[in-house]
Amino acid sequence: MSGLNTSSESITWRKAVIRLQATAIDAALVTMLLLMGELLVVAFSGRRGPTGLLFSAEQILDLLHYAWASVAGISLALIWNLLYRRLGASPGRVLVIGVPEWERNLEWTHTLRGWFAVIFIEFTFFAGWLITELDLLTLLTKFTKAADIVRGLMHPSGAVLHEGLVLLVQTIFLAFMATAFAIPVAFVLAFPSARNLTRGSAVARFAYTVSRTLMNFVRAVEPLVWALIFISWVGIGPFAGVLALWVHSVAALTKLYSEQIESIDTGPMDAITATGASTLQVLRYGVVPQVIPPFLSFTIYRWDINVRMSTIIGFVGGGGIGYILKPRVDLGEWGEVGTLVLLIAATVWLMDIISAKIRERIV
Amino acid sequence: MVYPGGVRALEGVNLEVQEGEFLAILGLSGSGKSTLLRCINRLVDPTEGKAWIFGTEITALSGGDLRRLRRQMAMIFQQFNLVRRQSVLTNVLSGALGRTRLLPSLVVSFPQDERERAQASLDRVGLGDRGGSRADALSGGQQQRVAVARALMQAPRLILADEPVASLDPALRHSVMRHIEALNREEGLTVICSLHDIDLVERYATRMVALRDGRLVWEGRAGDFDRDTFREIYGEDAEPASNTGF
Repeated sequence: MSGLNTSSESITWRKAVIRLQATAIDAALVTMLLLMGELLVVAFSGRRGPTGLLFSAEQILDLLHYAWASVAGISLALIWNLLYRRLGASPGRVLVIGVPEWERNLEWTHTLRGWFAVIFIEFTFFAGWLITELDLLTLLTKFTKAADIVRGLMHPSGAVLHEGLVLLVQTIFLAFMATAFAIPVAFVLAFPSARNLTRGSAVARFAYTVSRTLMNFVRAVEPLVWALIFISWVGIGPFAGVLALWVHSVAALTKLYSEQIESIDTGPMDAITATGASTLQVLRYGVVPQVIPPFLSFTIYRWDINVRMSTIIGFVGGGGIGYILKPRVDLGEWGEVGTLVLLIAATVWLMDIISAKIRERIV
Repeated sequence: MVYPGGVRALEGVNLEVQEGEFLAILGLSGSGKSTLLRCINRLVDPTEGKAWIFGTEITALSGGDLRRLRRQMAMIFQQFNLVRRQSVLTNVLSGALGRTRLLPSLVVSFPQDERERAQASLDRVGLGDRGGSRADALSGGQQQRVAVARALMQAPRLILADEPVASLDPALRHSVMRHIEALNREEGLTVICSLHDIDLVERYATRMVALRDGRLVWEGRAGDFDRDTFREIYGEDAEPASNTGF
C-alpha cells in the first residue's frame, strides 16, 4: 500500500471508480436482501388481503417498500465500504478488488461477509419458493386430473394422423427455407462482424459495431416474438413462421460464423495479401477455405434447432404442425394431441440423428 | 518500427539492396528479421522511416498502387502459409491473383495460360504430379516447395523469404534452398532471405547483414562473416552466465 501516496491523478480516479463499483454492487445486494426479508416477514405473518384470503405472491411483491429498501441498502453499503477495516471487506469489494490478505484464513463464521452470504442464499431459496408458488403437496396428490391427458397420449387417435402428416411436411420445409435463406445473409454479415478483419479502418470498425449490436439485439428477441411481429406484417401462416425463424437464424449464424472467422490462422491471409491480391481475393483465398467445414457444421446444427422451433411456432399462428396442436390442447382432445406430439417427437428425434451423423462426417 | 503495445522491433536500420543480389539477414529470433521483411512489402506498417522498392516509395503507397507494387515481390514464409484445404495447383495459382480479374478469381476460375504456367512452376520444384493433392496432404518440405512455386507463379522481381527452412528437417533444408538459389541465379531475381544458420548463409548468400535487438550490427560479404564474428556479435546473448558476475 506504500506506493499509493505517489499516485498520479489517473490512479486516484481509477481508485474512486473501483470503490464506486464495489459500493454499487453492495447496495444492490443489501437492497435485495432487505426486500427478500420483508417478503418473508409479510408471507409468514399470516396477514390477509382485501379478499380475506392470505396474500398471494404477486400481492406481496406489490406491497414491498422498494424505495425505502433502496435507500437503506445504499446507506448500509456506504457504511460497510467506509468501515471495511472494522467490518471486514464487503461482498462488492471482494468481487471488484479481491479478498484482503488479513481475511484470507478466517472461517466464514468469523466474517460479516460470510454471514451475509449464507443469509442471502437462504432468503433467495425461501423467496423463490414463495414467488413461484411451489406446492409439493398438490404435485403429489392431484395426479388424477392429469391422468386422462396421459391416457390420451398413450392412445393416440388416428383422426388427425393425415392432417398431422401433411402439416409435418410443412413444418420441415418451414425449417429448411428459414435455414437456407439465412445462410447467404449470415455469410456476408459474418465478415464485418469478425474482430480480426475489422481493425483496419474506421469504416470497418464502424461496420463491426453496427453489425454486432444489431445481431445481438435480433438474437435476444425470441422467434415466437418475431413470429407475432411477422404475423401482423404478412398474415397468419407458414410464411410468417419462415420469416421469424429466418431473422433469428441470421443473427445466430452470423455470431457463430464470425466467431469462427476470428479463430482462423492468419498465415494464409498474409500469404495471399503478399501476392498483391485485393481484399475480396484475400477473403476468398485466405479466409473462406478455412471456415467452410465449421460453417457447414453450424448450419446443420441451426437447421436442427429450427425444426424444433418450427413445431411450436404454429402456437402463435406461424404455420406448421403447432397450428393444429394448439386448438386441440385447448379443447382437451388428448388422443389427437397424443398423435401430434408423437409425430413431433419422431421428427425431432430423426433430425437429431441425421444432423449428428452429417456433422460427424464434416468435422 | 514499434508494434502496438510498445515493442520496438526495428530501429535505425539503413539498408540498400542491389538488383540480382542474394542478401541474407542473420539474427537470433526476436532480432527483427521478420519485421524487416514485412516492412518491405508492408504486411506491417512501419511507424517511422521509409522504404523504396524499384525506385518507388512503398511506405507512401496505399490501395491499388500498393497492391501493384506487391505483385513484384513474392514472399515465402517459415510456416509455408499455404491454404491447407485447397489443392496444390490452386495454391500455386493464387500467386497470380494480383493480375487476375476479380470476378473469375472469386469462383477459382483461372485462364488456361495461367493454369499451364502453374503446372510449369510445379514441375520446376519437382512436384508436377502432385497438383491435385490437397496442400495439407504434403510433407513440410514439399509444402515449402509449393510455396516456392507460388512465389514463382507471381513472376516477381524480388523474393522475400522469411526463415524459409527453419521449420524443416535439417536434411530437407537444401532441397528448398536450392530452388530459391536457382531463382536468384537463373532468373536473376533479387532475394532477401532471413536465416539463423550461419552455414546456410555461407553456402547461398552473396551478401549478408546481421541484426541484433532491431539494429543493424554487421554488413558485408557473406564469406567474411566467420564464426568468430558470430561469437563477437551474439556471444554475450548466447552465454549470459559468464557476464552475471560483473
